[in-house]
Amino acid sequence: MKDNLPLAPLQRLAWFNLIVFAIAVALYLIAVPFFEWRFHMTLTRAALPSLGVFGVCGLWGLGNYFLYDRRRSAKVKLDERETLICQRAGTIGVVLFWEVFVLLCIGVWAYLSYVRHQATVPVGFLPFLVMLGFVVYMVTQSIAILVQYKRSASDDTL
Amino acid sequence: MTPSESAQLKNRIRRLRFDHGEMTQQELADRVGAARQTIIALEAGKYAPSLLLAFRLARVFGVKTEDVFQWEGE
Repeated sequence: MKDNLPLAPLQRLAWFNLIVFAIAVALYLIAVPFFEWRFHMTLTRAALPSLGVFGVCGLWGLGNYFLYDRRRSAKVKLDERETLICQRAGTIGVVLFWEVFVLLCIGVWAYLSYVRHQATVPVGFLPFLVMLGFVVYMVTQSIAILVQYKRSASDDTL
Repeated sequence: MTPSESAQLKNRIRRLRFDHGEMTQQELADRVGAARQTIIALEAGKYAPSLLLAFRLARVFGVKTEDVFQWEGE
């Protein structure tokens, strides 16, 4: 007998993170042409200030609400397997974060140093690089959580 | 524990649930303090529990731990 398996708190958190990210991406795709039109910029120039809409990702901080049990305040609703899933997802997120972050930092620096012959990375790039790193971490972690749930709990027989 | 090692750990949780008044996965999960998804993963042989959870499961069914879990490794 099959029934609908309610989402676990950790799954809700992962979906929430991915939805916030999708909203940020959608806003970005709207913001770029808007900046181009409103401030008479080229698309390339409008791309950088439009990254500000990723501030919406600040909502990720509220996602931890899903992990709290309302009946027993301050107790986290994760059992041992879910803690393991969370740890594994975190590890995958950190690995990808480092890959992207280091590759981007080294890539931008090398491009500016050897192609553009500017010895330094513009300061304005740094917050975007850091933000991108964390976006990569959070999105990867959320996907890894959902994939692990799907792989380990595919049989929902009552 | 690797997936192949988890596969060597067999359990009779599903059988025991039905022997105990067709206990649902949710009921069992609530009684041992785990998520329903964890019980599903256990029954599917996709997760090897901690000793503590194994003992809790055995206590709910009123049997010994080895009556719930059997290791078929070398």
